[in-house]
Amino acid sequence: MARFSNASPIRWLGLGGAVVPLLMLLFVLVTLIIKAIPALEYSGLKMFTGTTWNFGAQYGTPVKSYGLLHDPGEEFGALPEILGTLATSAIALIIAVPVSIGAALVIVERLPRRLANWFGIFLELLAGVPSVIVGLWGVLTFGPFIAHDVAPFIADNAPSWLPFLKGNTGHGQGLLISGLVLAVMVIPIIAATARDLIRSVPILPREGAMALGMSDFQTARKVTLPWVGAGLVGAVVLGLGRALGETIAVAMVCGVALGSLPTNLYADMITIAANLVQNIDTAILDKMDISAFAALALILLTITLIANIVARLLVRRVSGTALPVGRGL
Amino acid sequence: MAKNFRLVFTAAALVPLTVLAAACGSSTPSSSSSSPPTSSAATSGKITETGSTLLFPLFGYWQSGYKSVAPSVSMTLGATGSGTGIADAASGLVNIGASDAYLSSSDMAQYPGLEDIPLTVAALMVNYNVPGISKPLNLNGTVLAEIYTGKITSWNDAAIKALNPGVSLPSLPIVTLHRADSSGSTFLFTSYLDAQDPSAWPSTNIGTTITWPKVSGQLAETGSGGMVSGCKATKGCIAYVGISYLAKTSAAGLGEAALANKAGKYTQPNSSTIAAALSSFGAPPSDGAMSLINTSAAGGYPIINYEYGIVKTTQPNATDASLIKAFLNWVVTTGNTSTYLSKVGFQPLPSAALSIAKSQISAISG
Repeated sequence: MARFSNASPIRWLGLGGAVVPLLMLLFVLVTLIIKAIPALEYSGLKMFTGTTWNFGAQYGTPVKSYGLLHDPGEEFGALPEILGTLATSAIALIIAVPVSIGAALVIVERLPRRLANWFGIFLELLAGVPSVIVGLWGVLTFGPFIAHDVAPFIADNAPSWLPFLKGNTGHGQGLLISGLVLAVMVIPIIAATARDLIRSVPILPREGAMALGMSDFQTARKVTLPWVGAGLVGAVVLGLGRALGETIAVAMVCGVALGSLPTNLYADMITIAANLVQNIDTAILDKMDISAFAALALILLTITLIANIVARLLVRRVSGTALPVGRGL
Repeated sequence: MAKNFRLVFTAAALVPLTVLAAACGSSTPSSSSSSPPTSSAATSGKITETGSTLLFPLFGYWQSGYKSVAPSVSMTLGATGSGTGIADAASGLVNIGASDAYLSSSDMAQYPGLEDIPLTVAALMVNYNVPGISKPLNLNGTVLAEIYTGKITSWNDAAIKALNPGVSLPSLPIVTLHRADSSGSTFLFTSYLDAQDPSAWPSTNIGTTITWPKVSGQLAETGSGGMVSGCKATKGCIAYVGISYLAKTSAAGLGEAALANKAGKYTQPNSSTIAAALSSFGAPPSDGAMSLINTSAAGGYPIINYEYGIVKTTQPNATDASLIKAFLNWVVTTGNTSTYLSKVGFQPLPSAALSIAKSQISAISG
């Protein structure tokens, strides 16, 4: 560091570079809050509990409320979008977490070194596939396959006390497909991180577990995974962040059912991101619509931030007991 | 060594700052040229356009046609959607915003200084995929509204049979297609439903994005292309698609409905039915804003519209103003000939609308 003591312009530039990301986040947050206030005042709690979304009568007589001139008849009930965002991400994680961790364990512990490396490269390539391509595949191939071959099977065999899994199996777009497409995008992220974590577990505790007569599965569950528990939570949150914010792929396969709560697992639905991306051209001319979009963006940002904070708390809790040594297996 | 390292470090630190500067810089309005205006009729410079995806292909043909008239005028076009086009024109980001719809009183109040100039005439088709039907099906606003609200669910429903005597309709479930993205087509279609039967389709459900009534099996498709391919893949579908997709709907084997007008007669869109509808509406008002839905002419097609160029009457400088005026005057005259319009199935402006457009164009100043 002493080397730079007489190079203060460079230090200032470095400081500037470090501060820019922080300023960007602040700028986005402040802009969103300022823009969102009129729509939040206009809708009140209905923004979070209402299920009707109406961009207003575009050729009606404009009315003024909360300082903004806007189209009459506007209603902003974002409950379907908020629930849709959470539900698709939940489905994605329910599928992605076991698959990714299983894949990571297999890659590290089962496959020969050379094959494992190839698998690793493949995973990283998969993580880099642009989401619009995954969305296109979802619309053209994956969605119809699920709708024709998988969804009817689930619906027929689901127990009667789970009516949400029964009923009309849809047409290849909707809640289940959105969750599955998100899972496809999240799996490589979680699996690649989990693979690196599991690789970092020292061989000695694992050999010890084997020596005690544990099976592979027991070793993984009691020794390997707890060793990197905190990191795994982090990996899952990384995936959750991607799932919550994913825009294009979900907009392509969710069915864009504005203002409707899905009646079953296969029904058309909508997410915050899908509404924003599909309807910006309608909203852009009306200041109250734009304000409502800012409120939606703020809600999405808050959900993501809460997910991150909860994850950090979890990581802290888990990492306190992460070391299996002396825990009495 | 230390010096090299310092150089790299400086460069690395500069990167985010330059990115930020570039991000800020890109939002400045694009003025056509920095040189001061020399004469009233500028012959070189840049015209920028964003807006309607329906008009976009035609703007492309106009762009290449205008090259032979004014070779040193360059043009950049963007298919962003009508709303964005209007907003971009209002903020001065572009010279011309292309829109499928005229400015509303709300738009006028929120963005004073904009005018909507009729550039050409478009139409909207209603298409269907029903095997075994050779003649165009007759449909009206009431039946379409009942289809799109789920009251009519099968192609052999008595209400459809009543409009098509002698046609043997299959007992095939109807699958309604609507646009997933915001669209001028949705606005025109819902306007027609309401104009034909306000009790079946309320005026509160007219717009570029609406909340569609829940209908079993309904599909949301992105873009006119999505509507065509979705309808092709779905037997029993019904969809609404801009006339410029006529070649594609024909290639996909989709039927094209004959729609009822206010006089209760059924017509398909073509040059004579569109001309008949246009003449029934007469001259547009001086601000160009006019709905052309549900004509009362017996031989007129009921879903047509003016396509608009949205322009700020006061341009940043005289060069911009003269470039835009020259181009738009070319568009409403030479650009309205069949050389250009036949490629997208649009129709030329009637003479009454042409004179309004010309006076609107002459009002642009720098």
